[in-house]
Amino acid sequence: MSRKIVIDPVTRVEGHGKVTIQLDENNRVKDAKFHIVEFRGFERFIQGHPYWEAPVMVQRLCGICPVSHHLAAAKAIDQIVGVDPDDLSIPAQKIRKLLHFGQVFQSHALHFFYLASPDLLLGVDADPSIRNVVGVAMDFPELAKKGILMRKFGQEIIKMTAGKRIHGISTTPGGVHKNITAKEREYFLDGKDIPSIHTMIEWSLEVIDFIKKYHQEHKDFLDTFAVYPSGHLGLVNKQNGFLELYDGNLRAIDAEGNITLNDVPSDDYNQYFYEEAKRWTYLKFPYLKHLGKDKGWNRVGPLARINVCSGIETPFAEQERLEFMAMTQGKVNNMTMYTHWARLIEILYTAEMMKNLLQDDDLLSNDLVRKGKRRKEGVGIIEAPRGTLIHHYEVDDKDRITRCNLIVSTTHNNEPMNRAVQWVANNVLDQKKQITEAMLNQVEVAIRAYDPCLSCATHAMGQMPLQLQIYDADNRMIQELIRD
Amino acid sequence: MKIPNKTLLIGIGNIGREDDGIGWLFLDKISEQFPGYFDVEYRYQLQVEDAELISHYHKVVFVDAHAGLQNQAFVWQKCSPKVPETFTSHELEPEAVYYLTGTIYRQFPVAYILGIAGKSFELQIGLTDYAKANLQKALDFFLHKIMKIY
Repeated sequence: MSRKIVIDPVTRVEGHGKVTIQLDENNRVKDAKFHIVEFRGFERFIQGHPYWEAPVMVQRLCGICPVSHHLAAAKAIDQIVGVDPDDLSIPAQKIRKLLHFGQVFQSHALHFFYLASPDLLLGVDADPSIRNVVGVAMDFPELAKKGILMRKFGQEIIKMTAGKRIHGISTTPGGVHKNITAKEREYFLDGKDIPSIHTMIEWSLEVIDFIKKYHQEHKDFLDTFAVYPSGHLGLVNKQNGFLELYDGNLRAIDAEGNITLNDVPSDDYNQYFYEEAKRWTYLKFPYLKHLGKDKGWNRVGPLARINVCSGIETPFAEQERLEFMAMTQGKVNNMTMYTHWARLIEILYTAEMMKNLLQDDDLLSNDLVRKGKRRKEGVGIIEAPRGTLIHHYEVDDKDRITRCNLIVSTTHNNEPMNRAVQWVANNVLDQKKQITEAMLNQVEVAIRAYDPCLSCATHAMGQMPLQLQIYDADNRMIQELIRD
Repeated sequence: MKIPNKTLLIGIGNIGREDDGIGWLFLDKISEQFPGYFDVEYRYQLQVEDAELISHYHKVVFVDAHAGLQNQAFVWQKCSPKVPETFTSHELEPEAVYYLTGTIYRQFPVAYILGIAGKSFELQIGLTDYAKANLQKALDFFLHKIMKIY
């Protein structure tokens, strides 16, 4: 009798997902799939709204990374009012970047301290009742305090630039609403009311030291768990190919490091990408057209970004990148669990960038908005915490949005996450008569490394859990795990 | 550092989902009538970092919509620390946040939960008449009775 395993919902990810694993008569894995079972429809219902509403409306896609959607939409709407990214005033660019870095910093801190650290600190096979952030807080209170204050710092940056921590508004077509006052930025520099940006850099370095120590102690696990070849995609700086989160060219490489997308302007994304729909999930599967769906899929997010970039402009993060790349002798890293390490390098990078920006008097300028010649179309691409985020809008002569296409980070990671689930199914669950909770958690560990935001990806409101079910050869469910 | 003699009101909910916005509207009403008297914070969901926030206060009131009240406009109860049995990092119960405040920061402010009855939570702005009436009763209760305590 064959069996089918379904995990629904996946816990500690953003959204609602389901994993099904089909076993045959000998408990061999026949198939494994990661389904996204919610539908949101933002692309559809935004049609007919005035284009200037887009950056405000689309951030409702997510309560975790609204800033990313706000900024990607804003970049697209800038183009509709005739303002390309480089034409934005310098102060507006810097204020937007500060907002973005605050967002990435707090989101990465949230992921590492609250979602990933329970598995890493307490073990993937620890009692599930303590394998959560409360368990971490009880056993590692000092780490928990730092995690909380790092996330708070990022959120305070968002509050300063966008008015509030969730669903604030910073941008206006062609610029930003407000500058930063000297008093506002001093709050982040003097360390009187909250730990300063200098402390954030220190703590970022500490947490990277933690992951390096963890790596030494758990090298076999990190080097072997959910390892599979893939392409990698991310924005890079237009001038030097360095790590870029706000505006750059699209670069992709294959699993061996060969360039598959050679620094193409982000406005041209439509020429290179295609999205395949499959009947068993609402989430599409993007791939590079010229490579086809079997070879053209890419990971996005921290690991991909570190793999594709030529360097990092901030000194501490660059030093850490070099050390990270040395683990694979400079070659592409296809080891899923190294995503956590890469994410921490980006925490450090964003902290260093925030420091530079907070000390820049351009933030105080009133040169905030530019105007241009009206266009009918705009594309905005940024690197959201989870990876490459694409917003594309078309408008009519009455300023109404007629078409909207969103390719969010988790959509890019759809195929990689399915590969991760298949890896765990084949390497952990295969031929096991009894499927334990610890085994099932490893499915979730593999998915969580991508920090998927399923509510964004399916364009859903409400719960964010995962369901796992086991089906036999006759398609009868014989085991189920539900987390909510 | 404790903020002396101030009570923190935390409204939990989403004004885009009908009666789920009742906690926020409670805060709006209180702030209108007593500007600056209370510190107020609006939340879609409680988060772990709220443990740090409430550690600075002597008194905290969590205000949320309540979908399970029968023949009762609101419920006022003391918030006691509780380890959550199920957990997602994006939606913590007030009791769990309170537990973290004690565990991490060794602080135990006086904390209450005010749950106000609602009945419809669909994608629409504005309270139902049922929730509006319950909100007014909860405000009357809070203003006339609880403020005497503070």
